[in-house]
Amino acid sequence: MIELKDITKTYRKSGGMEVKVLQGVSLKIKKGEYVAIMAPSGMGKSTLMNIIGCLDKPSTGEYRLDGIEVDKMDDDSLSSVRNKKIGFVFQSFHLLARTTALENVQLPLIYSTEELDMNALAATALEEVGLGDRMHYVPSELSGGQQQRVAIARSLVNDPSILLADEPTGNLDTASSTEVMSIFDKLHKDGRTIVMVTHSDEIALRASRVIRMRDGKIVSDERRAA
Amino acid sequence: MKQAKTVKLALRAIGMNKMRAFLMMLGVIIGITTLTVIVSVGKGASAKVMKTVQNFGANAVMVFAGGGKVMGPPDEKTNTLTLEDAQAVMQEVKGIRSMDPALIRLGRTVKYEENNTNTVIYGGTTNYGDAWEWSAESGDYFTEEDMAGMARVAVIGKTVVDDLYDKTDPIGTNIKIENVNFKVIGVLGPRGTSPMGMDMDNRIVIPYTTASRRVFNTPYISIIRIAAADSNQVEKIENDVAALLKERHHIQSGFPEDYRVRGASSVSKMAKGMMGTLNLFLGLVSLISLVVGGIVVMNIMLISVGERVNEIGLRRAVGARKKDIRNQFLIESSLITLMGGIIGVLVGLVVAVLIPIMSKGKMPAMPSWEPFVLGFIFSVLVGILAGIHPAKKAAEMDPVVALKG
Repeated sequence: MIELKDITKTYRKSGGMEVKVLQGVSLKIKKGEYVAIMAPSGMGKSTLMNIIGCLDKPSTGEYRLDGIEVDKMDDDSLSSVRNKKIGFVFQSFHLLARTTALENVQLPLIYSTEELDMNALAATALEEVGLGDRMHYVPSELSGGQQQRVAIARSLVNDPSILLADEPTGNLDTASSTEVMSIFDKLHKDGRTIVMVTHSDEIALRASRVIRMRDGKIVSDERRAA
Repeated sequence: MKQAKTVKLALRAIGMNKMRAFLMMLGVIIGITTLTVIVSVGKGASAKVMKTVQNFGANAVMVFAGGGKVMGPPDEKTNTLTLEDAQAVMQEVKGIRSMDPALIRLGRTVKYEENNTNTVIYGGTTNYGDAWEWSAESGDYFTEEDMAGMARVAVIGKTVVDDLYDKTDPIGTNIKIENVNFKVIGVLGPRGTSPMGMDMDNRIVIPYTTASRRVFNTPYISIIRIAAADSNQVEKIENDVAALLKERHHIQSGFPEDYRVRGASSVSKMAKGMMGTLNLFLGLVSLISLVVGGIVVMNIMLISVGERVNEIGLRRAVGARKKDIRNQFLIESSLITLMGGIIGVLVGLVVAVLIPIMSKGKMPAMPSWEPFVLGFIFSVLVGILAGIHPAKKAAEMDPVVALKG
């Protein structure tokens, strides 16, 4: 499903100095896997996530998503790939203020080219994360855990091939973290493919596969029995 | 991308900061208000010009004794125009249907029993009705016999009737003009205001012969009223008459004339000239307001883009293309200026209704549908022009950076 081959990413800093964030990453992720990527901060895990999520392009290397060579696509096509195949969950939720949960969840559907029943799809996604009774609440009326669940519903609404979660519990207290993580457990059980960046061992232990990175390279890749 | 949804989202974004939205609209409101006033005043003015020309007579040419630029009859010291001039014009200029040379005196006292008033005395010929296209409403004009006999008969205007009579029928009554007794034989139909703002109904028409020899004792005339056979000939007649009089009065080129010739076209030119200056001024106000309004919209949109970096990043992450982001901000700025435009048109129409009332009819204004079209076009245009830079800036953001920001 995800096939990365010798991916490198080099940034040019304002001083003209080049920073090699990724130095040849090769990785295959199969459908239904629950992968945790762990690395100290600044070691390239966010860049890797952005490349997997088609928000960023690799400097060199090949990337196939569902068999499509996405590293060669233009900006509009990448937007379309994100819209159809990727679901993002961010550390800071990124919900639109003063906008109901239902409308926040509909956001990806606005950019879809298909004619969809936006209300029904968004409602189903919210029910999936257990917020069927909070559809018309605005973010400020919801707890942190609930807000992140709305964000998860938003990432599910377009029925993506993979869920990409970047430190999804980074802004949450323990109780809310547990609440959110059990949703991911459930989604994994339902057969979703999940890639999650974290630096909490406790959270990584819930995944079926843990990849550790350092200095832009993968240093370990272990599969665990679920 | 669902356009209806985009508009709804844009409206919500505008609604989230009403004060800011109002400030963004302000320049456009002022600009479109002024534009609406210009159009309304312009329409009112051209209607007034039309009416002025109509009152003057669409195929009329008038010759006034005395030089200068002002219109209207001369004072009694101006003795430059004669009946011979009138006869020469009638003989030599082609295309004249009818002519009425007249001796006019302004502000003369007229008495009926205990009532008196000041009015214009017009000593004319039996051609009056034809040359002025002005019929008697009741009674009759004087006849050739009255002319020949220097009869003391008068046809009086509506204002004179109102000033002198309560309920009595004026016809058959006796009035005193400059202490000479006259018999009222007719009442003129209403005519309204002259191009110079004179009440044309405040006049008494008597035979020229009577005026010349019995009342004012002068051989000269004050004006010649000419009616062209065809309104297309008016300008030609105007030029021909002027040329003929120049020759008859021996006016050297470069020296001022001692007469003035005015046709319907010069009357409308004069009336339009008075409105033109005002329109130019208001046009500048409108243009400046729209430009300043556009700059304000652009700057606030730039601030808004800066504040919503996260939102832009998120939208890009869930599949918005660059052009979706660009359109979102363009629609937002255009909607704001469109709202400003609608408010501006409504305020402008209110002003347009108030202007004639406040100026007591001196400044006409006519509300119409055109401001809605112009307001729509100009406000949306300002919105798009002002929004294009912020919208492009938003669209070109790197989503990775925007999500972190």
